Amino acid sequence: MGSILLVAEIQKGAIREASRELVTFAQKLGGDVHSLVIGSGVESLAADFAKKGGGKVYVCDDPALAGYNVDGWAKAIRAAADASGADVILISNTPSGWDVAPRVAAGLEAAFVSDAFDAKEGPVFTRRVFNGKLDAEVVPAGGKVVATVQPGAVAAFEGSTEGSTEKLSVDLSTLRAKFVETKVAEAKGVDLTKAEIIVSGGRGVGAPEKFPEVVKPLADALGGAMGASRPVVDAGWLPHEYQVGSSGQVVTPKLYIACGISGAIQHLVGMKGSNFIIAINKDADAPIFEVAQLGVVGDLFEIVPKLTEAVKAAKG
Amino acid sequence: MKILVCLKQVPHQDARLDVNADGSWIKEDGIKFEINSYDTFALEEALRIKDADSGSEVVVASIGPDRVTQALRTALGMGADRAVHVKDAAVEGSDSLGIARVLAAVAKEVGPDLVLMGLMSDDSNASAVPPMLAELLGIPHATAVVKVDREGSGYRVERELEGGALEVVDLPLPCLLAVQTGLNQVRYASLKGIMAAKKKPIDVKTAEDLGLAGAVGAAAAKVRIQKIYQPPKGDGAEMISGSPDEVVAKLVGKIKELGLL
Repeated sequence: MGSILLVAEIQKGAIREASRELVTFAQKLGGDVHSLVIGSGVESLAADFAKKGGGKVYVCDDPALAGYNVDGWAKAIRAAADASGADVILISNTPSGWDVAPRVAAGLEAAFVSDAFDAKEGPVFTRRVFNGKLDAEVVPAGGKVVATVQPGAVAAFEGSTEGSTEKLSVDLSTLRAKFVETKVAEAKGVDLTKAEIIVSGGRGVGAPEKFPEVVKPLADALGGAMGASRPVVDAGWLPHEYQVGSSGQVVTPKLYIACGISGAIQHLVGMKGSNFIIAINKDADAPIFEVAQLGVVGDLFEIVPKLTEAVKAAKG
Repeated sequence: MKILVCLKQVPHQDARLDVNADGSWIKEDGIKFEINSYDTFALEEALRIKDADSGSEVVVASIGPDRVTQALRTALGMGADRAVHVKDAAVEGSDSLGIARVLAAVAKEVGPDLVLMGLMSDDSNASAVPPMLAELLGIPHATAVVKVDREGSGYRVERELEGGALEVVDLPLPCLLAVQTGLNQVRYASLKGIMAAKKKPIDVKTAEDLGLAGAVGAAAAKVRIQKIYQPPKGDGAEMISGSPDEVVAKLVGKIKELGLL
């Protein structure tokens, strides 16, 4: 493997952890590490990243890049790819990363690998398909590679290294998409992050009326809160404030009971930090059983109401 | 407004997923297919734009074998005006870039002001084609779109970020929007719509018709799936079995052990 370019991202005024994970990921592939830091007033962050595994760090610093801009990012990445001569470009699979990476790959006519969670020399990348139900090993045919990497898949690089920075000048006069603003998350009517016990329902619950009939009674009996997975909210069965997952609330209760939730990655990201997870699902191969400590393959409509009664009885 | 909606037909979300003989994909024989969930929201958004501006045209495009006709008929039944079906064994085995090339060739014939499609597919989960298509067409794009509003001569959209935050972006026309699920409430095809759809045209094309002979398909792919498999169970769950009463007794025992009961 020749040279690797990492595209770092800034979040809340610092290089985000996912970017330091790219350093670890690059080590799996092997090769000379270069990085790119994009933003406005980010030179000191770039210099810092150079000492934390970023290698030679290119800096694209421009007021036009204060907010994420797909055209600006694509131009900066192309310029850094040229300057570094990188064979592989690694970008975190974040809202910015997944937006720009395929665009850069198409422009470079490069092989594109999406949301890899592992890699080895070759290179061979491993990723999830079918909403987490199957894994795939993906192999580029040769030539340049652009890959996005799943945040949290590997540990962030923590060492210190020798590095350097170099300014990159990019023509940003013709940006078409215009960043307007970032809206922060609205305060939730239901704060699941403070709940000690959460009972969540997924697509397997089957119908909106089954939430108050089946899921909520168990949550109430346990003195906990009710949650839901994305498809439930998308279907309009419950409001967004009940959604657990990367685009909803990230929760860490003492007990999480997942009913009829198959376990798409974006849901697992939101609940895998729970202290204890019980999963009830009719599909024995559901990915939720990978993160659960206790699993039941069965009909939630048979088990959950009985469990609710048993909990009530135990409480007396 | 001319709107191109790109649809993918994918295995039904409840379909049984068995790996095929050479381990490169799933067995597709005998399973049910449906329109990719993300794409249904893109189609609905296009139909809403048309509902508000009857001068608009909604063209749906899809790639794949005969079965794809069903997805296109459904889209026409929901209210799309016409369909383009790229049906050619030479396109099979294309990677994301190959698919984007086919759709770019279709888009150049259609000449849309707006391209709408889903953020990702429920089978490959790659979210690769929309930004690639925008790049090949030389138009701006936004992904994970959860709100679409007309603003001046273009669109103001909201993109979903992490933890419920949103990014507001202005895009001039023509542009491409890759939408997130939950953007709207998707309609069903009415009986009247389904009857009307039978008269709507589906234009069938090959790679050669689109000037893409040799440029797409497995041989042109820059990336291939070497192996597809059940994820290792690892330290997965301790599975409990028995009658519902036995299962419930074990669950209650565990909840007590955790000190929560």
